Amino acid sequence: MSPLRKLASFSTVLLVCLVSAAPGRAQEPIRQIIIGGTQQRLAVPPCVPRGTDDMSRDACATITRVLRDDLAFQALFKFVDEGLYSALRKLEPDAPDFEDWQSIYANFLIAVRADADPNGLALDLRVYSVDTAELILSQRHTGQVEDVRTLAHRAADAFMALTQYAGVARSRIVFSSDRDDLDGDGSTKELYMSDYDGYNVRRVTVNRSLNILPSWKPNGDGLAYVSYRSGAPDVYVASLLAGQSLNLTQGAGQSFAPAWSPDGSQVAFGSTRSGNMEIWSANADGSGMRNLTQNRATDTAPTWSPNGREIAFTSDRGGTPQIWVMGADGLNVRRLTSVGNHSDGAAWSPSRQHSEIAYTSRLEGGTFEIAVLDLVTRQVRQLTTGGGSCEGPSWSPNGRHLVFSCNRLRRWQLAMCDRLGYQLRTIDVGAGQNVYPDWSR
Amino acid sequence: MARRKGTLGLVGFLALGLLACGGPKRPPAVTGPPPPPPEDTSSGAGSLNPANPVDWGPDIEPVGGDGDLSSTYLGDEYGEGGPLADIYFEYDRSTLSAEAQSTLEHHAQWLLRYSSAKVIIEGHCDERGTVEYNLALGDQRGRATMEYLLSLGLPRERMTVVSMGKERPVDPGHSDAAWSKNRRAHFQVSR
Repeated sequence: MSPLRKLASFSTVLLVCLVSAAPGRAQEPIRQIIIGGTQQRLAVPPCVPRGTDDMSRDACATITRVLRDDLAFQALFKFVDEGLYSALRKLEPDAPDFEDWQSIYANFLIAVRADADPNGLALDLRVYSVDTAELILSQRHTGQVEDVRTLAHRAADAFMALTQYAGVARSRIVFSSDRDDLDGDGSTKELYMSDYDGYNVRRVTVNRSLNILPSWKPNGDGLAYVSYRSGAPDVYVASLLAGQSLNLTQGAGQSFAPAWSPDGSQVAFGSTRSGNMEIWSANADGSGMRNLTQNRATDTAPTWSPNGREIAFTSDRGGTPQIWVMGADGLNVRRLTSVGNHSDGAAWSPSRQHSEIAYTSRLEGGTFEIAVLDLVTRQVRQLTTGGGSCEGPSWSPNGRHLVFSCNRLRRWQLAMCDRLGYQLRTIDVGAGQNVYPDWSR
Repeated sequence: MARRKGTLGLVGFLALGLLACGGPKRPPAVTGPPPPPPEDTSSGAGSLNPANPVDWGPDIEPVGGDGDLSSTYLGDEYGEGGPLADIYFEYDRSTLSAEAQSTLEHHAQWLLRYSSAKVIIEGHCDERGTVEYNLALGDQRGRATMEYLLSLGLPRERMTVVSMGKERPVDPGHSDAAWSKNRRAHFQVSR
């Protein structure tokens, strides 16, 4: 029941870039795979167990599946048909016969060997350029046997690090769910997190209150979120390593929708601490509280630009809630969206390639869908459509995908699609109403 | 946790109040049987891969003692039984209807009579609309309610507004009837 299905390859492509650092030098080994041009083909043959024991074989089976899923998820590569592998001679991961791999038109070979015993698991990763018959990456990843998925994710990200796109296989998603609500009436929500593929779900908060709108600290060791644990909504900052939460807003008014600055030093949020709902920011320890908007309208739901210089937010100062943007100092406020009569929940893409803001937009039928505003062309594209609503987009670390929550099947469930709206799928993270996902950086 | 609830004639429904948030009279949420958990839901606590040491176990900040946050709330049965009935709002609006104003006038009389009672005014919304917008709308409903009670002579310091957005519908349904019940201000009395 893998929540991620194998994906059809998409219209992007792979070029080998022979990096010649300086003119006059001999040709250097391949260091980077620039994607763009003609799509090329990866061979990801089954992982080779070092021994014949069940443990190594089981680990290898998982590694092969996870590695292929992780790479397919990016929709950047074509893959050698899996049926071809058995026709080739047995793979020796440290000394492949390139003729074999050239004969099935592979451009890159990702060879993995695994060795598992009760003391641990070692995964040896080799990446070869088949065209030039050379080794371009050699790594060993070690851990406990039960961490096999994590090791495979690390191998996938190590391959992606050869491209201009950061891998996301080790990223995580935090979300809010009522699955442990004791009354069964949905009156409490706790925070949970999972791997990006929906596996390895863990509970984060245990305060039997409403815990909503989590936001990952950029370095991944903390969260900001809204909790009603003291009665009224405050923004809390959690250190996940220390297992502690700091009340950032200390009961001054009501506080909502926290968002970390990209450098992890500040949290912006919506607050009624001055009476009306405005955007505020504070240092991560609660000092340096600053009011960024002063307007009679409602201002909330901030999101930072990737360089930290601007903040987009929701304001109804123009008559309906729309996405606006301002400098991180609160100056130079401009309206961004004008399509539809209700836009909210902006999320600024971290992509280095695309300057985009995803948000939730109401359509004429009254349902809410995920939309993306291209900040260069000012075009809006609608990503989701269908019965029910989708809400609350959050970007993957490389800006190629979005996670959000949809109630298409009468239950709010996490869903993902790529930045153009393709590959829409549900991510199974367990029971209950699962809402307000945030994807780690 | 059985602390003294004081005098004031509140006593009658205070007994109920200990249960507070989300009392037993609310209908159960309608959800289907939960799907099986994902496989590989490994290891609650204990050491993981040292290169990925972030295994935070269950608790961020466990609530101390019996963990009953709601024991500070004295009267709440989601509008049933208490003297302060819910008031209702039109879709996407925070203006008070004549009926709501009339209800609030009754509430003000009661609150002025029991003058040490404090009231938490919860602003609620129906499920339509985004979470952030509904949290703001719930705040506007709560504040409109508070302003009206203020105009009727209830001191500001006895009132607190808490927006619940669309997070705690009293009726989990998806019909117009359910939505109209969920667009409300709800009152919790404490002292």
